[in-house]
Formats: sequence, C-alpha cells, structure tokens
Amino acid sequence: MANTKTDEKLQKIAKDLLESGEVNLIIGYTKGSNPQRMRPVFITKPEEVEKLSFSHNAVQDLAVFLKKQEVKKYGKIGITVKGCDEKAVNSLIQEYQLSRDNIKIIGMQCNGVIKQNLADKGETKVSETTVYDKCLICQEHTPVLYDFLIETEEPELSLSGNVKPYADIEKLDELSTEEKNAYWAKEFDKCIKCYACRQACPLCFCSRCIVEKNMPQWIDTNSEEPGNAQWNMIRAYHLSGRCIGCGECERACPVNIPLMLINEKMARDVYNLFGYKSGLDINAKPVFGVFSENDFNDFIK
Amino acid sequence: MEDMNAEKEKQKEGTAATNAGSQSDPRLIAFVCNWCTYNGADLAGTSRMKYSDNVRVIKLPCTGRIDPLFIVEAFKKGAKGVLVSGCHPGDCHYTSGNYHSRRKYATFRDLLGYLGVDLNRVEFSWISASEGNKWVAVINEFTDKIKSLPDKTTDIFTKK
Repeated sequence: MANTKTDEKLQKIAKDLLESGEVNLIIGYTKGSNPQRMRPVFITKPEEVEKLSFSHNAVQDLAVFLKKQEVKKYGKIGITVKGCDEKAVNSLIQEYQLSRDNIKIIGMQCNGVIKQNLADKGETKVSETTVYDKCLICQEHTPVLYDFLIETEEPELSLSGNVKPYADIEKLDELSTEEKNAYWAKEFDKCIKCYACRQACPLCFCSRCIVEKNMPQWIDTNSEEPGNAQWNMIRAYHLSGRCIGCGECERACPVNIPLMLINEKMARDVYNLFGYKSGLDINAKPVFGVFSENDFNDFIK
Repeated sequence: MEDMNAEKEKQKEGTAATNAGSQSDPRLIAFVCNWCTYNGADLAGTSRMKYSDNVRVIKLPCTGRIDPLFIVEAFKKGAKGVLVSGCHPGDCHYTSGNYHSRRKYATFRDLLGYLGVDLNRVEFSWISASEGNKWVAVINEFTDKIKSLPDKTTDIFTKK
C-alpha cells in the first residue's frame, strides 16, 4: 500500500531520531494483518522505519508499553501518540514513572479512531457514529505536549449533538440504589478476573498489584461475587482522578463490562469536587497527592 | 471473666445472626484514628456514658491510614455499617493525614453510591479527644439509621 503523507512525515522523524541516537527505540503503529487493523511495532534500527504508519484505525494506547521493564531498559524512547494517549504520558511523568528527558513525543493530530468492531466490518469513514465515545468528548485532538507534531489529513469530526457520549452515566445517576445495584451486579457477574483491564491500562503500573498480595488476601482470586465487585471497585478507585479516558480497559475486556462508564463518572466527579483533570499538565501535582483546607466536607459529621 | 465469656457468647450469636441475615443485631465497624476519635471513645467510656453495643472499634494510627479497601472488606465480611472517624481538620497528629483522607473519601463515597451501595451504610465524622458526647451521639444515631434500613439489603458485596 502506498504511504500517505502522514506516514512519510512520521517515518522521517523516526529515522532522524534513531540515526542521531536521540532515542534507542521508537514505539509506533504498523499496518496489521488486515487493512482495518493497526498493531504496535517497536523499531530500533533506522532502516526499519518504513514499517511505521498511522491512521484512524490506530486504536491502541501505546503509552501502556512505557511501564514495561523490557521497554524501560532502552533508556531513551520515542513514542507515537494520539492526544488521548499523550495524557497518559503526562500522567506517568507527573507520577515520577518517567522522565521528560528520556522521552521524545511524536504527537499525532487525530480526529477520532473508528471502533474496532465497525472497522472489522469494513467501516472506513470517521463520523460521530463510528468513533469511540472518548473521541466525541475529546478536547485534545492535538496533543497537549509534544516534541514533533504531525498534522492530520482527516476531515474534522463534525458533531451534530444527536449522539450522546457516555449517555448511560446520566441514566444510571437517575436510578435508585437497588436499580444501580442490579445493573452493576449483572455486569460484574460476567467478570472472569483475567485482569486484562489492568494490563491494558497505561496507569496501572504497580509492580505488585493489590490482587496479587495475599498476606492478607484482600481480594478473592476466584471469579465469583463478592470478589468480582471488590476487584472492579478497587480498580476504579485506584484510577479515579488518574484515568485519562483512553478506554483501553473497556476495549480489552473480553466480557464487555462497560468499565468506561465507571472511569468517566469518576473523572467527572473528581473534576466537580476538586476541579482537576488528569494528564493535562506535567507540573501539576496528582489530585490525591495534595489537599486544600477548603475541600468538600459536607458528608462528614 | 464473666464479662469475657458473655462477650464470646454474644459474638457467636452475632455470627449466627449475620449468617441468617437477621437485622436484630446489626454489626457496625468503626475505623478510628489513634489520637482523636479513639481517645474520644475512651473518654465516653471513662465518663460512663452509654452507647450502642453494636459497634466494634478498630484503631489505626490516622485516618490517612484507613484505606477504602478496609471499608469494602468490612462490608464483605458482613458488617451492616461502617464508620470512619478521625481528628478535626487542622488537628491531625501527623499534620495532614485527615485532609488527604477527606479527599479520598469524598471520591470513594461517590463511587460506592454509583455502584449501588446504600450510602446510609457509610458514615464519616470528625471527633476530637474531648468529644466523648459527640462519639455517643454519632454511634447511637448511626445504629438507629442502620436498624431502620430494610431487613434484607442486597448489594454487590452480597455472596450469591
């Protein structure tokens, strides 16, 4: 397939970076085994850069690889990121998991990525009905922080307002406690405790996760209630105020639990309570690392 | 000695009652900080004030040490209500533990509610070492509230 202008620009930047020795590894996307899929690729040699590509099928959040030891050992790394994924890089820098000096960010301007299940059926057009919900509420079509920016050739995403992103959050908010409980009990019942949500998350970087601690065993290892609910609740809690909304947990979930409904709700609540949005400023302190004397106090006697 | 035996008997009954899902003796767990609320409860005791005996107190160094996971665990083990209590803002023995915990719990409470847990079952309070009477009031009020809840509550912590 012929290279697009975007791909050419991307490959040139990657080549320069590798040749000059500014980075030892480039993490990017390459064309997958079928034309509607992209997959991650790791480039260490300048002659391999022509593998790099980018399109509206690049759904993965590559920032997840930055937490891996195998990647960290390369030292200086270049990464191809969309606006949403770039927020994960910012959060990792904020939480001292990554040094700004060791990373070169190749920002890709993006007007939305097509849902993988639709792309597999042959959908090739970016529109408000074909992209993920996260793209509809996206404020960072251009990444907030980058060393190189590659502009998009895609037309701008036009929003008619008819498609409401994460509409189920408002619906759930209006339900009674019992109804909410019934909804989530049904969803969590499906969980098979594969922890794919954790593995796919760029911000779940603990070397030893709470579910792996067994002295004491906080969370039951079998995939039954109440352990399932406990796991999903604690996962969501550990990500509240940190989740950047890339939606990888939900995409990775083999049983389709709507995890983004929880993450997005928590992100909204944290914004309402503390006025904080994650991943926008590498110099900001993480929301639970600081406090204010005037914090919300109404629920305490 | 007699008291201890009576207490043991009661605990046995308590477990049996929880298994049967009875509401006559709901168990409340209070996670309290070492420096303020625990001493407040102690003051209530030494002043011979009476309060509901449904509560079991677990002392931790600071509210900042009380992980939301503890609340989840208490519910999972069959507690009907959980109280988290510590020093008033500005009075923390470790300067800022209670401020951090307030941020955590404001968020965690939202999450509990969103996932369908009755928010009447969790309570938060600031009780200082001199507020024995506030401790008594909070515990009694909380126990009454828990007792008034429907007998059989199901939530995501209920074993199937």
